[in-house]
Amino acid sequence: MLSTSFLRNRGVLLLLILLLFQNINAQHLLNDHALKFVTGQVRGQDAGLLEDVAVQVKGTKRGTLTEVNGRFKIQLPDKKGNYVLQFSCIGYRFQEVSINNAKGSNESSHIEVTLVKDDSIQLEDVSVLGRSANDLAGRQSYNVTSIDAKKLHNSTLDIAQALDRVSGVRVRESGGVGSDFNFSLNGFSGGRVKFFIDGVPMDDLGSSFQINNIPVNFAERVEVYKGVVPIWLGADALGGAVNIITGSKRANYIDASYSYGSFNTHKTNLAATVTSQKGFTFQLNAYQNYSDNDYDVTLDVADINTGAYTPDARVRRFHDKYHNEMAVVNIGFVEQKWADKFLIGLSVGKAYKQIQTGARMTSVFGAYHTRGNILMPSLKYEKRNLVHRLDVKINANYNFGKETSIDTANRRYDWYGNYKQYEGLGGERSRSYFEFGNNLGIATASLRYRVAGNQELALNDVFTHFNRKSSDLLLEGSDVYYQPQKTDKNILGLSYKYDVGSKASISVIGKHLYQHAYTKLSYNPSGNWGDVAYKGVSANTDKMGYAVAMSYYLTPDLETKFSYEKANRLPENEALFGDMVNQESNFNLKPESSQNVNLGFIYNFSLSQDHHFLLSATGIYRHSTDYIYNIFNNNQTKLVAANLDGVRNMGVEAELRYSYNKLFSAGVSGTYQDLRNMQKYEPEYESVSVVYKDRLPNVPYLFGNADASIFFHNVFAKGDHLTIGYNLLYVHAFYLYWPSRGTQDNKYGIPMQLSHDASIVYSIKDGRYNIALEGRNLADRLLYDNFSLQKPGRSFAVKFRYFINKKNK
Amino acid sequence: MKRTKLLLSTLLALSLWTACSKSDSPGNGGDGNGSTEGKFVIAATPAATQGVADYLLTTDHLDAGTLSTKNNGVEQDGTWRYYTTSKNLFFSMLYGQGNPGAVTAYKLDGGGKLSKLTNFQTETVQAFAPVNDDILMVRVSRSISNEISHWYKVNTESLQIAGEGEINTKQLAGNGEMAHFSWIKQVGDKVFAPYFSIKADGKDGFGTNYPDSSWIAVFNYPDMSLNKVIRDNRTSFIGAYFTDGLEVDEKGDVYAYSSPMATSNGKVTSTKPCAFMRINSGTLEYDKNYFFNITEKSGGSNIAYKLYLGKGIFLLGMTDPATPESSLTDRFAVVNVYDQTFGWVTGTPDPAKIISVSDLNSYSPKDGNTGYVGITTSDGKSAVYKFDAKSATASRGLEVEGGSITAIKWLPAKA
Repeated sequence: MLSTSFLRNRGVLLLLILLLFQNINAQHLLNDHALKFVTGQVRGQDAGLLEDVAVQVKGTKRGTLTEVNGRFKIQLPDKKGNYVLQFSCIGYRFQEVSINNAKGSNESSHIEVTLVKDDSIQLEDVSVLGRSANDLAGRQSYNVTSIDAKKLHNSTLDIAQALDRVSGVRVRESGGVGSDFNFSLNGFSGGRVKFFIDGVPMDDLGSSFQINNIPVNFAERVEVYKGVVPIWLGADALGGAVNIITGSKRANYIDASYSYGSFNTHKTNLAATVTSQKGFTFQLNAYQNYSDNDYDVTLDVADINTGAYTPDARVRRFHDKYHNEMAVVNIGFVEQKWADKFLIGLSVGKAYKQIQTGARMTSVFGAYHTRGNILMPSLKYEKRNLVHRLDVKINANYNFGKETSIDTANRRYDWYGNYKQYEGLGGERSRSYFEFGNNLGIATASLRYRVAGNQELALNDVFTHFNRKSSDLLLEGSDVYYQPQKTDKNILGLSYKYDVGSKASISVIGKHLYQHAYTKLSYNPSGNWGDVAYKGVSANTDKMGYAVAMSYYLTPDLETKFSYEKANRLPENEALFGDMVNQESNFNLKPESSQNVNLGFIYNFSLSQDHHFLLSATGIYRHSTDYIYNIFNNNQTKLVAANLDGVRNMGVEAELRYSYNKLFSAGVSGTYQDLRNMQKYEPEYESVSVVYKDRLPNVPYLFGNADASIFFHNVFAKGDHLTIGYNLLYVHAFYLYWPSRGTQDNKYGIPMQLSHDASIVYSIKDGRYNIALEGRNLADRLLYDNFSLQKPGRSFAVKFRYFINKKNK
Repeated sequence: MKRTKLLLSTLLALSLWTACSKSDSPGNGGDGNGSTEGKFVIAATPAATQGVADYLLTTDHLDAGTLSTKNNGVEQDGTWRYYTTSKNLFFSMLYGQGNPGAVTAYKLDGGGKLSKLTNFQTETVQAFAPVNDDILMVRVSRSISNEISHWYKVNTESLQIAGEGEINTKQLAGNGEMAHFSWIKQVGDKVFAPYFSIKADGKDGFGTNYPDSSWIAVFNYPDMSLNKVIRDNRTSFIGAYFTDGLEVDEKGDVYAYSSPMATSNGKVTSTKPCAFMRINSGTLEYDKNYFFNITEKSGGSNIAYKLYLGKGIFLLGMTDPATPESSLTDRFAVVNVYDQTFGWVTGTPDPAKIISVSDLNSYSPKDGNTGYVGITTSDGKSAVYKFDAKSATASRGLEVEGGSITAIKWLPAKA
């Protein structure tokens, strides 16, 4: 159910091409005298103002798209004569409006258009092949894959799982609902790829608001930028970014769903927006996840007393409960003279998570757990054409959230839930009752100025202030917890976009990154025992980055894209300060730099009227230096971040999609990434490392997805639709440790992964009532994303969803 | 500097284990050239900053030849492991993150290859030693909020945990800090557990306010009840973190060394000399008449570790006197603790080039003269050096490519 930056139908593509022509034509014609313009506003039936409706002068190549407020302006070829404007938008009936100007008046005409809903076209929206009109906005010269989340709203997926179906993306999970995850894009993971919600960085939001617990219903679409990241996502991302777009264009709607599934999993989501005639709006998005995650695992189970293993025992997880609750509320105004959007919001949430195992499943816990919460007020302001051709966006938020780690049971558990209670105070892993608040304030400002029809300047600034407060509730009064840990970070970006003729577009980006981190470290000033003092230390970073992205249409159906960037990633707060639990501070960490190249194409073709194909492929090159990586500290009790010489990735990803009318669609995608260790000399050594240019261990390098969907329309009644979908995930086996070392027959590794998922969705009244049945890992295979950490076996879920979208009163 | 050496200092072994039974020694008199009766097992760690695992290599000879980890060697689950042998079994144990983990037992198959015998689970421990037919292991608390440390007994016949108990290591220290055992060792029918005092306050965790004392907790066996604490103020603590500082000679006398390495907030605060002391056989007190001052002889160089060669002769890994806080070996000395003679060894690599040595996982046939130590140098080469105590010289033997030698063990083919 993924639309991967492809055009849904050739009509839209054609229109896009026409648009590019239009820009050029407009340029040439501007000198002509007495031009006739038509302005107007487009609404949808049962919906508000429609953005991105294609408007075209019939019989010509002139076209435009409506803006966010539904407005458009189009120039007629000649001031005299009768013309027909054509309006097309997915989900609505094609409409034509006549403009009579036989007299040749110079005055602009203004028309109001309301598009009528079209069920059959809505269905096309459900099909997999193509791109919804939404995507056109974000689609420029960048290499972007857009997931139309609306098509997944009847599934129980979270954002992370939805992303996992994008080529080049691997989300590695350590278990069931709420488990730890590692997101990688083109082989880059661990904080290099940045996440945004509506363009605002998701840095340090805490455990309660993460992509692995945000339901897919939270988003309208999710954009995955590979390589160069556009300026309006201001961050020190390396090789990519993910932007979760929630902003609903619907003025009034309710979307409520509940699902129940295996392992006592309950998920609820309520999203609603009410907007008054005057533009006062109230938006709510609330969700809840709960799971016992008590799935069966197969492993060598140790006897709690003797340590003897029972090989391949099947046991049930018993301490893996996870639940989180989250609500995001926004109140404000839309479509005002002074603001397109002015919202004051509050995000409130909490999470609770039991920890079942350590890094290997053989170490099992029965009481260790963590908690987290988030309390984040926010402010949003958006205005297009604040002054002539200048768009402004401002965001600000501050997170007061806290994270707590609780390991206070002096016990040793076995896999059957039995335990030994030890005397005195202790912990299962390492006794702790630790609390820290990664208080983070973010302010972003974005300006966009359209220099001319085919040129655009954008300026973006993101400022973050980090102030950690931490305490170990078991070690009271320790000075170390009262030392400041502060970071100020500013990222300023400037970009210039130029559409060269009808076929090409080019964007150039420059970025300045600045970071000032400050703390106080303890030291011994005199050398006498017991003496302790604190000295202030600070780390300043100043870096420039730049990027260029371009696209070129070789034919109207074949688009090529190229991008290059020199990007920087600043050391993260976690790495600089440590987390006082698992991570040690390293204040000497250097920023990581990377050169990233993407080169790809998208090709649309049809064998006949009915058989549509879409083929895309991208080659990627990444070379990262001063690669930030976690290694063990000197007594292996904690991790500490360090800079490595580098890592190189050369890879290719490809996707082929096919659709037959509105009845069937299928696709297959694959990713091969060849990550190589470019650390030529290990610290202290003068000779070339024995693993120089060896494949990076413990990283999947070959994986892919396949999917197929069949659609049945008007099954029992008009407006009833049945969709049967299937999804296959494949991950090739990979080694845990360096491939070139040791005899091949006894190396540790993660075996080949194959997961079959299927779903049946039945919708009544064009999606007002929906019921979905879902099965995952149907073959009940042992699945691992990480060595030893088994994921759930076969599972089922049922989801009920109610959706109603009311016309603006 | 020399970060790798710090890391390696945690890979420990039982230097005395092989000496416990005559049959554990190579059949041909321990000249480092094995026989069909067993194999030398060498653990090698490729120099890489991430994704590193240890590889076990086998060889008949230590004196010459070349081994490589390239497509060769039995991969271990990670590198934070320690190795030991018991009878004809080779144990590979996990060390890390305070979690329980799998121990893998290997033995030699008919073709002389390491074959996996079984896995069993133990806790991650900071000290272990053979005591009677058991391996006694101690998991030491490092947090002042958790006063309890644990001991476990693994029976080497059944390969299962046969008993466990608790030690209140805060009470044991009795000074408001925590007692952290440096190592444990069977002495007669007792278990000697030298310890150092740590603040364990989550801030200056391994620092102490008591840098100039030594303590040995003496436990009765098998009940592990505390018999007494042997105390002294002539030196700093015995041994070091994960480092055995205590040896029992053929006469049953105990020799223990101390290096002045106690710190407070990152600075060395010990003021006492590096020295050997003695506890005479059958007593539970230091012999106040015996004190072998190493600092005087070495010119300020401290002992990083010791390898007992037998007959009162020790091979000592020594530190750079210019960096008193260093616990890394870059030079070697031979001492006779009976007549208190000291001599520097020649023939080892340039101290500035030494990256790591196999420390306590080195090997001696206990002939009173010979020792084998793996030394890795910054040119990326790792080799076994054969030490000759009489001539105080070392010569280069077996080379390992693609990995630092972290352990050298003799594994008999038959129990």
